Amino acid sequence: MLSVKGLKANVDHKEILKGLDLEIGPGEVHAIMGPNGSGKSTFAHVLSGREGYEVTGGSVTFDGRDLLELEPEERARLGLFLAFQYPVELPGVNNTYFLKAALNAIRKSRGEEELDAVSFMRLMKEKLKILHLDDSLLKRPVNFGFSGGEKKRNEIFQMALLEPKLAILDETDSGLDIDALRIVADGVNALRSPERSMIVVTHYQRLLDYIQPDYVQVLASGRIIRSGGKELALELEERGYGWVVDEAAA
Amino acid sequence: MSAAATNIAAAAEAGPFESWLASGAEGLPAIPWLTAARGTARARIQGQDAPTSKSEGWRYTGLRALIEQQFRPVDEPVSAMVPDDIEDLLVPDLDAHRVVLVNGHFAPSLSSLGTLPRGARVGGLRETLAQDPDALEGLLTAIAGEGAHVFTSLNTAGMNDGLVLLLERGVALERPVELVHVSVGMDDPRVAQPRHVVGLADGAQATLIERYVGLGESLYCTNVVIELALGRHAILKHRRVQLEGPQGYHLSGLYLSQGASSRYEGVNVGLGGAWARTDLVTRFRGEHAECDLAGLYLAGDKQLVDYHMDVNHGLPNCISRENFKGILHGKGRAVFDGLVYVARDAQKTDAAMSNRNLILSPSAEVDTKPQLEIYADDVKCSHGTTVGQIEPEMLFYLRSRGISAAVARRMLCLGFAGEIIDALGNDALQQHVADEVGGRLEAPPA
Repeated sequence: MLSVKGLKANVDHKEILKGLDLEIGPGEVHAIMGPNGSGKSTFAHVLSGREGYEVTGGSVTFDGRDLLELEPEERARLGLFLAFQYPVELPGVNNTYFLKAALNAIRKSRGEEELDAVSFMRLMKEKLKILHLDDSLLKRPVNFGFSGGEKKRNEIFQMALLEPKLAILDETDSGLDIDALRIVADGVNALRSPERSMIVVTHYQRLLDYIQPDYVQVLASGRIIRSGGKELALELEERGYGWVVDEAAA
Repeated sequence: MSAAATNIAAAAEAGPFESWLASGAEGLPAIPWLTAARGTARARIQGQDAPTSKSEGWRYTGLRALIEQQFRPVDEPVSAMVPDDIEDLLVPDLDAHRVVLVNGHFAPSLSSLGTLPRGARVGGLRETLAQDPDALEGLLTAIAGEGAHVFTSLNTAGMNDGLVLLLERGVALERPVELVHVSVGMDDPRVAQPRHVVGLADGAQATLIERYVGLGESLYCTNVVIELALGRHAILKHRRVQLEGPQGYHLSGLYLSQGASSRYEGVNVGLGGAWARTDLVTRFRGEHAECDLAGLYLAGDKQLVDYHMDVNHGLPNCISRENFKGILHGKGRAVFDGLVYVARDAQKTDAAMSNRNLILSPSAEVDTKPQLEIYADDVKCSHGTTVGQIEPEMLFYLRSRGISAAVARRMLCLGFAGEIIDALGNDALQQHVADEVGGRLEAPPA
């Protein structure tokens, strides 16, 4: 599904990713954890195709395609989805209009028919329920004036609507109180399926109490330095990151 | 020497606008107060050179190409048109008392006035003056006076028809009045000079939609002047949409006189034409009046759009707002010049001016000049200007959801313009303007 080999990337001429390797199979949920500044968000952004990240080496293959040569919208149409750590406010851009444009762009690329207005509304209402979101959200501009929790829920709502093959959740837990976290996590869990893989980027173990990963990857200094099962997350919570970094250096 | 060259040489001798004055003055009934005002205007023009880039009001808006066209007036109404000819120029589902003018002349056969309430008069300028010579005394030519520049005088001297909208005290129109001005190409470059008069007596209320459209792609000029007088507590919602043809020149002078506690809400949309200049001039006759000027302009390759505003607070306790947004793409150029003047006695004035611009290409340009001149000491005044580009984060967010870059850009532009489009306050008109804005921005790849 996703194969990352020796990925190197610079931001502002500074090397952040220094040979990252990662293999993700269909339906697998991988947590990527690591200290601040280890390159977690950079990795998420490089996968999604954000400008300002210069890939200097390595390869990323997604469903047999060279991901790095594709535009961000082409990646999304292939089934890649990034839930933003800081969802962007789009004043004046109506949420319904935006969601419809996104869904139909993706459906069109899959060779499916565009949804008519009635089927689209029905689909949206069904997905809103999963995230405990109110209908009024659809009439508002995208993320504009949303609370922190609403923004994060809106990200997962979009994920539910767009049904990606690979979802990258970039610090989705940051800024959420425990109730909002539970709603977001329930939403994510409802979307788990044998065909859908996920990368859950997080600094804290807390989120992983709710979204149980199949694998935990520790990212430090631009490399995956340790892989393990979900028990690794608990160990990191107890002992911090220092010992893993030290062991990797030894 | 060719005939054309002779004409130009003769015109240079007689003044730059001699061709504009070639006829037209006979088009309206001879009413002494009107004839006198038109004679004064004509004399004023003949004593003047054309403004150059050295005059402040025309610094960024060159007149040379316009003057070289040697536009001639349209003396006769175009009578051959039938409603089907303008079908495509109408706004779908817009319910209004519709008045159609073609090349400056009222076209009754294309208009559909419907039923008007008692105390409301809507019709052509020429017929109004013929039926009731004094109906417009104190309004027509009186509100604009000398005007902002020579083009107002040219209109005064050359006008031969236009729209009249008069409401008696307390009359409120439920449906909007829509004026559609259609420009149809002629064999040589022509200028239409419609003159509109709007008079709302005390407590009267109306919505006026004014639209300028071109049929085909010919070269022409529209030089319109509109005079508006609002009585005490009168309310006018005024929506103006300029969609001239791609070679069209458009000049528009709006002169507004507001009585005490009146409210004017103007939304100006400028999308069309090759060259467009609008002057919005407001004077308060009474206190507690409110003047709200909003605008949206869009300019691309081979387009210049210029909005000049002159809001004069001569009395205390009035409110004014100027809120203009612009989108520039290709090699488009725009000028915004907003002047708010607050006289020494105009205490408790509340004035805010804002001009925000979105530039989509490195070749586009906007010259923006907000000016506040304040001589009173107890006022609330603000102004702000921005010129920016589409935020890369916003663009990336949309693209990360599968939306192509071109469509994403268009969505963000419409989002930027949305505030002004919404202010049009009419679903059919909003849809029409949104479609026009979207269609004029870079088309997405198929």
